[in-house]
Amino acid sequence: MDLSSLLKYLYVAINEAWQHKYKCLFGFVFVAFVVLLIGTRWPAKFETSTTIFADNQNILRPLLDEQAAQSNLQDQTRVVKDMLHSPRMLSQVVDSVYGLSSFSGGNEIGLAVNRLRERLVVKGLGRNYIKISYFDDSAEQSYKILNTVLDLFLRESSEEKRSESREAFLFIDNQVRQYKDQLVDAENRLKEFNSTNLDGRNVDAEESIARVRQQIDELKLGIDEDKATVVALNRQLADESQYSARQTTSNVYFERLQELESRLQTLLLTYTEDYPDVVSLQYQISDIKAAIAENDRSENAQKDNEEVSFNPLYQELRSRLSRAKTDLSVKQKRVNALNELLDSEYERRRRIAARAAEEAELTRDYTVTRRIYEDMLESKERARLSMTLNIEGQGVSYRIQDPAIPPLNPLGLRFLHFVIAGPILGALAVIGVIIAFVLFDPRVRFMNHINVPNAAVVANIPHMRTKQERRSIKVGFVYYVMLVIVFMGIYTSLALAYKFGVLK
Amino acid sequence: MSSGNGVKTLFKPAEPAPISERHDLIDNMGEVETFSTQELDEQKIIYPGMANPNVLNVFRGLRTRLLKASKGANFSCLVTSVCSGGGTTHIAKNLAASFSLDKSKTSLLVDANLYNPSLNSLIIGASESGLTDYLSEQGPQVNIKDIVYATGVPRMRVIPIGGYSEAAAEYFSSQTMQLFSEEVRKRYSDRYILVDAPPILEASETQILIDIADLVLLVVPYGKVTNEEISEAVEKIDPSKFVGIVYNN
Repeated sequence: MDLSSLLKYLYVAINEAWQHKYKCLFGFVFVAFVVLLIGTRWPAKFETSTTIFADNQNILRPLLDEQAAQSNLQDQTRVVKDMLHSPRMLSQVVDSVYGLSSFSGGNEIGLAVNRLRERLVVKGLGRNYIKISYFDDSAEQSYKILNTVLDLFLRESSEEKRSESREAFLFIDNQVRQYKDQLVDAENRLKEFNSTNLDGRNVDAEESIARVRQQIDELKLGIDEDKATVVALNRQLADESQYSARQTTSNVYFERLQELESRLQTLLLTYTEDYPDVVSLQYQISDIKAAIAENDRSENAQKDNEEVSFNPLYQELRSRLSRAKTDLSVKQKRVNALNELLDSEYERRRRIAARAAEEAELTRDYTVTRRIYEDMLESKERARLSMTLNIEGQGVSYRIQDPAIPPLNPLGLRFLHFVIAGPILGALAVIGVIIAFVLFDPRVRFMNHINVPNAAVVANIPHMRTKQERRSIKVGFVYYVMLVIVFMGIYTSLALAYKFGVLK
Repeated sequence: MSSGNGVKTLFKPAEPAPISERHDLIDNMGEVETFSTQELDEQKIIYPGMANPNVLNVFRGLRTRLLKASKGANFSCLVTSVCSGGGTTHIAKNLAASFSLDKSKTSLLVDANLYNPSLNSLIIGASESGLTDYLSEQGPQVNIKDIVYATGVPRMRVIPIGGYSEAAAEYFSSQTMQLFSEEVRKRYSDRYILVDAPPILEASETQILIDIADLVLLVVPYGKVTNEEISEAVEKIDPSKFVGIVYNN
């Protein structure tokens, strides 16, 4: 729709409005007064709000580190909301504000509780800050109820926290005692088991078996060695004669004589008999011959005194053989003894294996119980600390950040808004109706809207107004404006009268 | 406004005008006092030099249109509306005025609107009888001349409705009416007759009047009728006589 047709429509709309000016005025007045009436009956909404701070970062935390398990609340807002909206809490509030006797039945109390729940809004304002707001018909009531709720909440939360940590401590304490008994029991059983166990550990048995085996092996080698020695000695003894022949001095002289004679023969091949060296040799030979003769005489004299002398090697071999045989016999006895020991060790190891399963069970039982007990003991100490903290009021606590103040102005739509909205809505309603009328009324208001077959529009007669008409329109307009002013005066005075309590 | 002593009316029954004088009379028609511009304004009648020339031009255009439709011959044109209050009188009156702007033409405005006769204001002086008196067989017999009155607009005459409007439908269908129409039209070739008729959808007489008329204009008033009603009205009009729709703001 372009501007000119828009203007045409506007002109038509104004024209229609003027033609139906009294209907329009009536519509306007009617809507305005209806809105004003709604305004007078509109319930005021007074909201009181307060901000609380959920303080779980207290001074003790960094000092205690993780030792004290503080009530770590994941979502403070949700916790606060759950607590505030709990029927127990709300019925307490209802009781303390209205008094339960003022209700005729449980149903009414339920309704009051529900209404309270609907009007009590809990909203998280970022880290640890929680806004609690409540609205009611009157400022006083709204303030009173919110304060009651807050008081009850703060009291409840600290009490609950204390009892919570006390219960936790008692529970853990009880558990610790139970585990202690179990641990003592396990310890006793293990002790008893160990006292009856004489075989020692499996490892000990293994060690001694290995040691004995090694000894046996070594001894066996020794026996083999000794046996070989005995055989060798026996063979040597058989070879050696019991008596040995005499070694004589003449034998030595004969050897010397043969040597000298061979040298003499060699020299005589080159030199004559008178060569000094030959002469010297001949002298030497004769000396030796003399010595042999001498020796032969002395030996003949000795042979008369001793016939035979024993062989010393034989003697030596005999004694060594005897020693070897003794050793062999000793070693064989030791091997036998060791074998017996080995058998007994094997027997011990079997016994140890048989008891190992039982021991493992007892040990495991003991270890597990002890670990749990130690953990519990630690938890118990933490719980004791937490309990103490909560009793001292050092755990998670709620502080009032922004105290509630009695609301001065009602929330949402106020009477003033209705007073202002009345004429505006009235005018808008009238304008809307006129626009709708112009747009949707099928009656022809524009020449180009005439759409009839076989009929052309031959003339468009403009509207003519006489001076009189124009004057009467002016007068009518002034009269109309005055009417509107009079109405607005009545409207304003009614609104003021209501506002200042003259009208109810 | 008084008729005065010096009024010389053409159709005064006492002085039948000699035929020889007739042509002169278009110019020198014994005019009564003419309306002042102020009076014309008050009666919403167009005149040259009026404040809003647009209206004047529209009626001139319409006049040309009618002349074209009648091929230059004089005619009787019926002006009817789709519904009552459509402003037929205003349009018929001004059309008549537009014809009479031309010094060589005269116009005769016939008030056939039985239900809302409103042309008396044009007549200077008192009107004694009108169309129905002429058509009626009761009462004293009246001559055509007796019912044609001069107006405050030069060269424009008017026939008021008269005193017997009760049984008008019967009068209109009578032979006398036919004769009357022919009489007034043929008497002066430069006379253009405009009939202010009742709304076509509301009065049966209009149909009868259409039969007698040469041309028909249908007035569509602002914001009173739907296209369907206009169609219905158009269907009732003989297409050979129908000139077109006049949209009246």
